Amino acid sequence: MLNVKKLFSFREAPLLLAILGLVIVLKFSSIYFFTPENFGIMSRQVGIALILAVGMTFVILTSDIDLSVGSMVAFASIMVGELGVLHKYPIIPAVILSLLASTILGLVSGLITTKIGLPAFVTTLGMLAVVRGLALGITGGAVISGFNESFTFFGQGSYGPFPIPFLFAVVIAIIAHVVLTQTTFGRQVYFIGSNEEAAKLSGIPTHRIKITTFMICAFLAGVAGILETARLSVGQPSAGVGYELTAIGAAVIGGVSLFGGVGSILGTTLGTVLLILINNGLILLNVDPYWQQVFSGTIIIAAVALNMRKAKS
Amino acid sequence: MNEIISMTGIVKKYPGVIALDHINFSVVQGEIMALVGENGAGKSTLLKILAGAVNADEGTIHLNGELVHFTKTQDAIDRGISVIYQELNLANDLSVAENLFVGRLPKNKIGTINFKKLYEDSTEYLDRLSLKFDPQTKVGTLNIANRQMVEIAKALVSKAKVLVMDEPTSSLTQNEVETLFELTKNLKKEGVTIIYVSHRLREIFEIADRVTVFRDAKLVDVKNIKEVNQQDIVKLMVGRELINLYGTRKQSVDYMTEPILTVEKLSLNKSVKEISFNLYPGEILGFSGLIGSGRSEVALAIFGFTKKSSGEIKFKNRDYQPKTPKDAISQGIGLVPEDRKKQGLFLNLQVRKNMSSASLPSISKYFLINKKKDQELSATYAEKMGLRSSAIEVGAVTLSGGNQQKVVIGRWMAQNPEILILDEPTRGVDVGAKGEIYQMIRKIAEKGVAVIVISSELPEVMGISDRIIVMREGLKVAELESKEFSEVKIMAASTGVE
Repeated sequence: MLNVKKLFSFREAPLLLAILGLVIVLKFSSIYFFTPENFGIMSRQVGIALILAVGMTFVILTSDIDLSVGSMVAFASIMVGELGVLHKYPIIPAVILSLLASTILGLVSGLITTKIGLPAFVTTLGMLAVVRGLALGITGGAVISGFNESFTFFGQGSYGPFPIPFLFAVVIAIIAHVVLTQTTFGRQVYFIGSNEEAAKLSGIPTHRIKITTFMICAFLAGVAGILETARLSVGQPSAGVGYELTAIGAAVIGGVSLFGGVGSILGTTLGTVLLILINNGLILLNVDPYWQQVFSGTIIIAAVALNMRKAKS
Repeated sequence: MNEIISMTGIVKKYPGVIALDHINFSVVQGEIMALVGENGAGKSTLLKILAGAVNADEGTIHLNGELVHFTKTQDAIDRGISVIYQELNLANDLSVAENLFVGRLPKNKIGTINFKKLYEDSTEYLDRLSLKFDPQTKVGTLNIANRQMVEIAKALVSKAKVLVMDEPTSSLTQNEVETLFELTKNLKKEGVTIIYVSHRLREIFEIADRVTVFRDAKLVDVKNIKEVNQQDIVKLMVGRELINLYGTRKQSVDYMTEPILTVEKLSLNKSVKEISFNLYPGEILGFSGLIGSGRSEVALAIFGFTKKSSGEIKFKNRDYQPKTPKDAISQGIGLVPEDRKKQGLFLNLQVRKNMSSASLPSISKYFLINKKKDQELSATYAEKMGLRSSAIEVGAVTLSGGNQQKVVIGRWMAQNPEILILDEPTRGVDVGAKGEIYQMIRKIAEKGVAVIVISSELPEVMGISDRIIVMREGLKVAELESKEFSEVKIMAASTGVE
């Protein structure tokens, strides 16, 4: 009994309960829910969403935000296509160069935000357009196909019952968790989000840390973009539209405070799972796809409102 | 006597502290009631309750004999109670007139603002206060004193019967103070009741009819101003057991040794002009002066937080040019900043993390934090600072002001600094904790650390310092040895009046 109590006393317990509740409801409302096929689809979606949400968590923890991750997904997608297919690079250098390019875009966002002092909201809103534009401009708007199987395996293959993108996400989430809880960098991220001026006055290189979080976020958006490309077998400049909503939503539903300094990878992970479950449920319950976004948006607003009330009391 | 305000049995508790302990406070119609007490004694909490900004846990408020319940500030304003806080509540980009009539702007038939009437009405109020500026002036272009006057006029517009002024003179020059007093006396003649909060006892004797003294969350006494002198009030404020609040120096500072820090003609954009001074190991150097005189800016420049525009700083006889606080910290300089909550603490994080925030390199290896070292460091310095070691895992936000300050001081003690700068070390700290903080500062200095204490409180800066530098408008205007310390001298230097 005591153990059960302890298990449910941690911060993220309400989320876990919500997920369990939703799983039970869905199990009884749709015969398709509890099937290996559906879990395969969901875990693949969770994989890509979680990778994005983990990156977003780093940025939000410092009280910034990155609205450009959807465009970053597209950018990495066409980069790996350009290099790997059109320029016939071997796949490993193609992937590495694409990730490097994504990370550099994150560096740009970070530099503009810290050195010029623009709000991250503005910087990354601009980058959302710029990076999407880059993806469209480089390809002339065309999709790139012709990837070989050794590449598409990373998006479509499975190891046992687990899709490869899901496994990637799990490894990334564990590393991120360790970085945030056990390293000086992670501690500094929380310091900056909690009180940036106090952090600076404690001798913390606030600019460098913030820029690093933007680079991590962009790098992970690149990883998600490449996995997405492998999943769909095409590099496309229109990939990832609206993914920033998923990433930010998953983080804030998971209890990451938009004011910074509060949140965890565990929370973000549960938030991601909950968001994907809800989407899945809406599909299984035959809710008109055109209306589904209304639900996702409402849930994000409700989650933030709940979190703020909790923070006040 | 007609009591306009009567607060009975007021109790207010915050986590870990009692802010008000069964306070019975009343004010008579048409008087000027002064409120004095050390920081954290409970004055401002009581006023916030009167203003409807904070709710009392227990107790009642009667206004003209009628029981009232203020749940928000508008309730109090509607009943004629206006508070002018130290931080003024004006929209700087709007005109004086718009600020005066905010929320009650006169309208035309079609619902737009009737500017003609607005300016006419505003002029009327400004005339009443003998204020000579145009109601169309933008508030942001006025100086602090005039902005304060606008706040008072605004209170009159809202038909205030009770006007509460919280430290209204803290950033005024002597002339401006006199104008303010003139005005206050006129308001009294018009029948406005005034509650006047100030640390400056001289002012209280000039203006108040009665004085209420607070100490340690309790109302100690109410005196008719004609029946007491300044010493009596100080005794009531401080309490007998705290006569030696500041401690005494055990050995004298050796001014023949080499200074650890030499500042020469340091200038900062506008705020500091060619200031020079030496700081010696083991000495406590006080910085006095009004808010905005450049004291904190000097500290922040030494700490590498703000850039100097010219001048030289030498640390241990070597050229010292900190670009960031990190540079200063690595040299062994620590800073306890002025605003604990805004600049010092990570309120939502544990005390442990707050304690070790400047010591990350020493509790980690290859970027990985060593949990045990983290805990040991925090527990050690929590204990040294007189905090329970079990407190290190609670959130910093739950601590009282005094304990929070100990956490910030502990953060720097963990660094074994050679220079420690404390900016307003006891602001918002209750009297008991104040004494403890002074003892700590003494101990730190006795270990040979050079300490700079910046303070707006004259008794504090005189009580703790070995030497005092007075600043005014960015200039060093006086440097006093301990035998020359006097409130009059320091006040004269910091306000520029003889």
